[in-house]
Amino acid sequence: MKKKLISVLVSAGMIAALLAGCGSSTPESSPASSGAAAAAEPAESADTAATDGAAETSGSGAAGHTYAIVTKAAGNPYMERMSSGFQGVIEAAGGTCIVQNPEAATADAQISVIQSLISQGVDSIAVAANDANALTAALTEAKDAGIQVLTLDSDVNAAARRTFCNQAGIQEVGQALIDAVYDLTGGKGQYAILSATSQATNQNAWIDAMKTIAENDDKYSGLELVEVAYGDDEPQKSTDQTQALLQNYPELKVICAPTTVGISAAAKVLQDQKSSVKLTGLGLPSEMAEYIGSDGAHSCPYMFLWNPIDLGKLAAYTSIALVDGTITGKAGDSFEAGDMENSPYTVTDMSDGTGTEIILGPPFRFDPDNIAEWAEVY
Amino acid sequence: MAGKSGRAISAAPKDGLRSRILSWEGALVLIFLAVQIFGVSISPNYNFTNVLREMPKYLAEIFMLFGMACILILGDIDISVGSIVCLSATMACFAGNAGAPFPVVVLVCLGIGLLCGMVNGFLAIKLQELPTMIITLGTQIIFRGIAEVTLKSGGSVSMEDVAGLMQMGKKLGPFPLSLFFVVLTAVIFSVLLNRTVFGRELYAVGANKTAAYYAGIEVQKDRFICYSLLGGLAGVCGIFLLASLYGANTTTGSGFEMEVIAMCVFGGIATTGGKGNLTGAFIAAFVIVCIRIALGQRNINTQLILVIIGAMLIISVLLPTISNGLRAKKQKR
Repeated sequence: MKKKLISVLVSAGMIAALLAGCGSSTPESSPASSGAAAAAEPAESADTAATDGAAETSGSGAAGHTYAIVTKAAGNPYMERMSSGFQGVIEAAGGTCIVQNPEAATADAQISVIQSLISQGVDSIAVAANDANALTAALTEAKDAGIQVLTLDSDVNAAARRTFCNQAGIQEVGQALIDAVYDLTGGKGQYAILSATSQATNQNAWIDAMKTIAENDDKYSGLELVEVAYGDDEPQKSTDQTQALLQNYPELKVICAPTTVGISAAAKVLQDQKSSVKLTGLGLPSEMAEYIGSDGAHSCPYMFLWNPIDLGKLAAYTSIALVDGTITGKAGDSFEAGDMENSPYTVTDMSDGTGTEIILGPPFRFDPDNIAEWAEVY
Repeated sequence: MAGKSGRAISAAPKDGLRSRILSWEGALVLIFLAVQIFGVSISPNYNFTNVLREMPKYLAEIFMLFGMACILILGDIDISVGSIVCLSATMACFAGNAGAPFPVVVLVCLGIGLLCGMVNGFLAIKLQELPTMIITLGTQIIFRGIAEVTLKSGGSVSMEDVAGLMQMGKKLGPFPLSLFFVVLTAVIFSVLLNRTVFGRELYAVGANKTAAYYAGIEVQKDRFICYSLLGGLAGVCGIFLLASLYGANTTTGSGFEMEVIAMCVFGGIATTGGKGNLTGAFIAAFVIVCIRIALGQRNINTQLILVIIGAMLIISVLLPTISNGLRAKKQKR
């Protein structure tokens, strides 16, 4: 009988040990998720900074404050670059940085993470939203708790955040993409768009901008958009969708993929099949280097992107400026952003008039001439 | 008939204080307390207020626990509930945006859930030769498919008038409103399972379907009722989820089915049927939620949290084997 009691206690002990084990491993696991080294120290001090954050007098700059960034999901290289840029600036300024990668690219998963950050009493939350509306309640709760909320990469309802760090004006990206399609088709023919998820805010905004520009200018009247396919930012599904496009539209000339996961999956399919269909869109240079070239052996003549590291840095400088009161997120506010190219930045009204944004800069073109150099950067 | 207690971790007689502590439910209470101590020790922000504040999202899921427990006790399974949540929440949003008053929105959400559950139940009793895993895999895809078609390419819908939802998301003191509904549902299902003929029938069917049939139990009717109940509860989950999301999209509720099944199994309910009880599943649910909250506050990478919960699940299922092995060793000696 006693033995059985002991076995129960041993089992319970095993579970407790398992839990305790993961508790002590925190400092290692935290930097692993952020993709940057040397974060063991800040992760450890996160608790102390968060607990007495309220009592902390606003010292010089970022010191004594905790700044959080919530990415769309783990395992996305673009998001990892973005959060490493954010982390670099915050830590250089002496602040504490928390990087959170939700378990899935859903609003539900982001809500759990945001709720947890509210409990920790952080000073600011920068979030790349998976859904424009679903985070409203959680972010409003954060605002009510005195936390500075901003968005980057993918926006939410303007009322739920102070401002939005926009990697590129919607118009600028739409224009660059439709011009690329125009150029690659020779001004006439079928093209398709391979997007991420059907509810991704930025994807839909860019696609809508492309459509609007094409409709309102006779220059693009020879172009025919045959389908917007959704690869859900999963490599396999993006591959399947690309193959389906090739099969369904034999006349297809160009695929435009404004998502890093989609474009690299499509590039591989097109190059492996030696297809005559050309590819452009938004992609990560390091992933796309082997596909970019002007000859027939390469599937992508050129593509665009901004620098996700710079976007993360801009969000970090914005967070610091919001927390120390330099800006409040109103149009016209201006702040210094360290050594960034376009610094100082100014907060502007969004085109739809609902809120404010800070535009990082025009999209950058990657072609055979510069891809080798950029592939090593990110 | 098999015993109602959960996982047998000892061969102790089924009465007395000692056997109570030795039961899996007793062990779960200890684990729950251990998790609280663990939470407080790893996170300075792990306290009553914060845990309750982070809980509503999980509470919505817990509604489905009770229906899932019934299904598992029957020896069946339903993996379509996540999609039912998505579909019912989506339809409720459309109803609300079409101008329906809030009570109607709630009824739409519950009604769609119930209807989906009845479809599952109908298929389960009409296609008895098929495993219910396969049937509900099919409906899982169908229900989410309908939601995706309804949502069109936009992929998401949000409630324009959130006044009613804000009421549902309200707090009474530190307690979220949904907690009271969860407890109420727990009491109702506890009575249903433990104090009614219907409840005893479920255990009988789960233990031996054929024997139960020859004993005069209307096996198929019971199965239909359980699927419908679970569908209805998925609708309840949908409406409470809306109270924190204010809208639905194509990923709403994805993965919920597995989380709820995990809570049940961790709580000692056997997927083979006939074993386990609601108390265990209920405590297990809060153990898992509290672990998630505590580790979340420590900024542990969320993937690692899933690994930990998976490991706990496997260890808990292996417990009887471990304790039997120990006993066998002792007897050899």
